[in-house]
Amino acid sequence: MANMDSDSSHLLIPEVDNEINPGPMNIQFDSSDIRSKRPFYIEPTNIVNVNDVIQRVSDHASAMNKRIHYYSRLTAPADKALIAPDHVVPDPEECYVYSPLGSAYKLQSYTEGYGKNTSLVTIFMIWNTMMGTSILSIPWGIKQAGFTTGMCVIMLMGLLTLYCCYRVVKSRAMISSVDTTTWEYPDVCRYYFGSFGQWSSLLFSLVSLIGAMIVYWVLMSNFLFNTGKFIFNFIHHINDTDAILSTNNSNPVICPSARNGDHPDNGSMIFYTNDSGLQQFEKWWNKSKTVPFYLIGLLLPLLNFKSPSFFSKFNILGTVSVLYLIFLVTLKAIRLGFHLEFHWFMPTEFFVPEIRFQFPQLTGVLTLAFFIHNCIITLLKNNKNQENNVRDLSIAYMLVTLTYLYIGVLVFVSFPSPPLSKDCIEQMMTVYPLLGYLARVQLLGHIFGDVYPSIFHVLILNLVIVGAGVLMACFYPNIGGIIRYSGAACGLAFVFIYPSLIYIISLYQEERLTWPKLIFHIFIIILGLANLIVQFFM
Amino acid sequence: MEESDSEKKMEKENLGTRMDPPIGETEGSLGWVLPNTAMKKKVLLMGKSGSGKTSMRSIIFANYIARDTRRLGATSKMFYLIVKSGDLNNSHNTLGCSNLGMQSLTDLFLSIQDTFMENYFTSQRDNIFRNVEVLIYVFDVESRELEKDMHYYQSCLEAILQNSPDAKIFCLVHKMDLVQEDQRDLIFKEREEDLRRLSRPLECSCFRTSIWDETLYKAWSSIVYQLIPNVQQLEMNLRNFAEIIEADEVLLFERATFLVISHYQCKEQRDVHRSEKISNIIKQFKLSCSKLAASFQSMEVRNSNFAAFIDIFTSNTYVMVVMSDPSIPSAATLINIRNARKHFEKLERVDGPKQCLLMR
Repeated sequence: MANMDSDSSHLLIPEVDNEINPGPMNIQFDSSDIRSKRPFYIEPTNIVNVNDVIQRVSDHASAMNKRIHYYSRLTAPADKALIAPDHVVPDPEECYVYSPLGSAYKLQSYTEGYGKNTSLVTIFMIWNTMMGTSILSIPWGIKQAGFTTGMCVIMLMGLLTLYCCYRVVKSRAMISSVDTTTWEYPDVCRYYFGSFGQWSSLLFSLVSLIGAMIVYWVLMSNFLFNTGKFIFNFIHHINDTDAILSTNNSNPVICPSARNGDHPDNGSMIFYTNDSGLQQFEKWWNKSKTVPFYLIGLLLPLLNFKSPSFFSKFNILGTVSVLYLIFLVTLKAIRLGFHLEFHWFMPTEFFVPEIRFQFPQLTGVLTLAFFIHNCIITLLKNNKNQENNVRDLSIAYMLVTLTYLYIGVLVFVSFPSPPLSKDCIEQMMTVYPLLGYLARVQLLGHIFGDVYPSIFHVLILNLVIVGAGVLMACFYPNIGGIIRYSGAACGLAFVFIYPSLIYIISLYQEERLTWPKLIFHIFIIILGLANLIVQFFM
Repeated sequence: MEESDSEKKMEKENLGTRMDPPIGETEGSLGWVLPNTAMKKKVLLMGKSGSGKTSMRSIIFANYIARDTRRLGATSKMFYLIVKSGDLNNSHNTLGCSNLGMQSLTDLFLSIQDTFMENYFTSQRDNIFRNVEVLIYVFDVESRELEKDMHYYQSCLEAILQNSPDAKIFCLVHKMDLVQEDQRDLIFKEREEDLRRLSRPLECSCFRTSIWDETLYKAWSSIVYQLIPNVQQLEMNLRNFAEIIEADEVLLFERATFLVISHYQCKEQRDVHRSEKISNIIKQFKLSCSKLAASFQSMEVRNSNFAAFIDIFTSNTYVMVVMSDPSIPSAATLINIRNARKHFEKLERVDGPKQCLLMR
C-alpha cells in the first residue's frame, strides 16, 4: 500500500507531554476538561441545536465556509492565489462574526457615518443648513419687493431652486461609464467641462460659503457689540431703552438686516453723556473697529476641529435657536398685532406698495437663501434609504419655504418692533463653525485631495476666512449688499447655469434632447444671468 | 451531519517510505502513475498558463500549491513541463519559475512560442502522450484568444489520437464564477458544442467548473467515476453491504482525492453539498496531519444521534459508513467493515490492475 504525503522521514512521537507544553487551550472549558484541548475554531453549525428546524446557516454558506477554510490551508498566507473573490463571498450584510463564546455579531459598515441617517435627520440637516443669515434678510427683501410680489417671488424661487437642486442630485446618475459614488458636484462639473468646470464650480461654491461667513461675521460683531453695550449699560444703570428699542425710527438697529441693509448704526451712542469711563468703553468696544477682532478669539479655535460629527451635534443648537426665533416672532406678532394695509402701487408714509420694481433684490437674497447645491450631494449621501432622496429634498425645501414665508410675513406685518437681537446671535454661533467646516472640506479637498491635510493648512484657511470677515465688518458692513451680490453670483453658476447645462449636455449625449426641454433650461440660464446683472442696477 | 458533543477518534500509522514518481524514464512515466502494475497509465492535465490547472490540482489532491519548487525537488521540473505543455509561454524558464514569473515573460516569448511548441511537441510528444488514460484539458472561460486555445487543443488531440487513441477526453470550462449567472448555461452550451465538434472523431465530455462552488468537485468525481472499470458492480456490492450492516449511508471515496466514487443512501439527506464538505474536511485534516509527519488512517465520529466511520477500505479507496442507530456498538460496525474489505479487495483484484489516481 502506498503511503501518504510527507516531507520528513522520522516517525511521529505519539504522546505529547501536555503538562510541560499544553499548547493553546480552549477557554470555554476548564483545563481539566478534555474538551479544553479543542481548537477555538467552532463552526457556526455547531452553535445550532441539532433539533432546530430552521438552520442558522444555509447549506450553501456552510459548504462555502468549508471550502474557504480548506483552500486557505493550501497556500502560504501571502499567496493570493486561492483567496475568495468578492463575487463569491456573501454581502457584508449577510456576514456574521462568531465569537468563541457562541454569540454572533453582524458586520458594521466600516465607513464612518455612511448611510446612517434616517429621512427625518436628513431633512432636518438640509433645513438647518439652509436656514442661515438669509432668514434675517427675508423681511427686508419682502419690503423691497412689496408684499404680494414678495410672497409670489419666494414661492417661485423655491420651486425653481428645488428643481435645480434635483438636477444636481441626479447629475451623477446620468454618468454611467465611471464610478461616481465618491463624487461631489465639482467632480461632475469636471467630467463635463474639464478642469475649468471643476475649479469654477469650486470657486463659486466657495463664494457662497465665504459670503455667508462674512455676513455672519458682520452680524456677530454687531450683536456682540450690542450685547456688550447692553451689559455695560445695565451695570452702569444707564437708561438706554429708548435707543435700543427705538421704534420711531423706521430703521431699527438691532437686527440690521431685518430692515436696513445700508447703514448699521455706529452712531447709536449719541444718548450718552460724556463720561471718561464711557469714552474708554467706547474706544475699546467699537462696532467696526474692535469688536470684530474680539470675535476671532471666540471662533477661530472652533473652526480648527477635524471631525464633522462634533459640528453636527453643535448644529442641533442651531435648530433650537431657529425654532426659538420662530416662536418669538409669533409671540411678538400676537402682541403687536398686524399692521398691514394693501396699497398696490403707491408708497405711503409707513407702508410700501404691494408690487415694487425692486423685487430683484429679493431674488438675489433668495438665491442665497435657497442655496444648498454645493453640499446637497454630501448631505444626501448619508441618507439611509437612498431611494427617498428626492422626496426628502422636496420636503426640506417645502419646510424652508414655509419657514421663510412665515417669518417674513410675520415680521413684515408686525413691524415695527421685532427685537431679535439676542436670539440671532446664538443661532449664528452654531452655524458658523459648520460653514467653516464645509468651506474647508470643499477647498482643501480639491486642492490637496485631503480633507484635513494638516493643522497648518486648516489654520491658514480659517485665518483667511476670518480675516475677510473682519475686513468686511470694519469697512463694508452692508449685509444686504453682501448677500445679494454673493448670492446672485454663485447662484448663477451653481443654481442656474451648471445644473441646466449639464442636463442639456447629458441628454444630448444620450440623444434624448427635445425642444421643450432645451428651451426650458435655456430659459433658466437666462433667468440666472438676468438675476445677477440686475443686482448691479438696483 | 452535526458535530456537536462528539468525540473524534483517530489513529495514526507509521510512515513507510515515500513513493516518488520515477524520473528519467523515457517512456514518459510522468504525471500520475500506478507504480505497482506493469502497465503505466497516465492522466494528463493540460491547459493554457493561468487557466487554473495548478490551483485545481492543488485543491483536488490536497497539495500545497507548488510555488516554491524546492519542496517538490527535482521531479517537479519534469512535472511542470508536462503540466504546462499546452502553455503559450512555455520556455526555458519553466523550471523553477513561479507562475507569476512566467506570466511576465509572455510578451517576450510570444513570438517564438509557436515554433517552440512545434519543436517541443515533435521532440517530446511521443513521450508525453503515450499510455495516456485520461486527458483533462482546462479552458479558461474568460480567455480572449479562442482561436489559439482551440488550435492547441487540437494539437493535443492529434497527439492523443496517434499515441493513445483509447484515452478518455474531458474538457473543463473553468472559472465559470466570473461569468454572470444568467449567462452561464448559454456560454457553456456554446463551448460544449464547439468542443464536441472539434474533437471528432474522438469523444469528449465537457464540464463547467469553478473552484468556488461544488462544480469542480462534481466534475472530478464524474471523471473518476468513469475511470473505475466496474463501477456498477461496485455499487451493487456496496448496496448489499449497506443493507446488511443497516447503515444509513455508505460512501466510497478515492484514496488520494476523496472524490466520491460511489455511494448508497437509504433515505434523502438534507445537505446536497455534504460529499464535498467531507472531502474538504478530511483533506484539510490530512494537511494538518502531514505537518506532524503522520498520515490519516481512520476516524470515528459519534453523537447521540448517529455514528460515522471513515476508514481505509481497499488499496484505492476509503469508505465512510453512517449509522443512525447509536446503540449498535462501534466494534460491530468495525468488524463488518473489516470483513467487507476483504470481499471488495477480491473484487478489485479479480478485474485486473485498476486505474488509480495516486498522488504524492
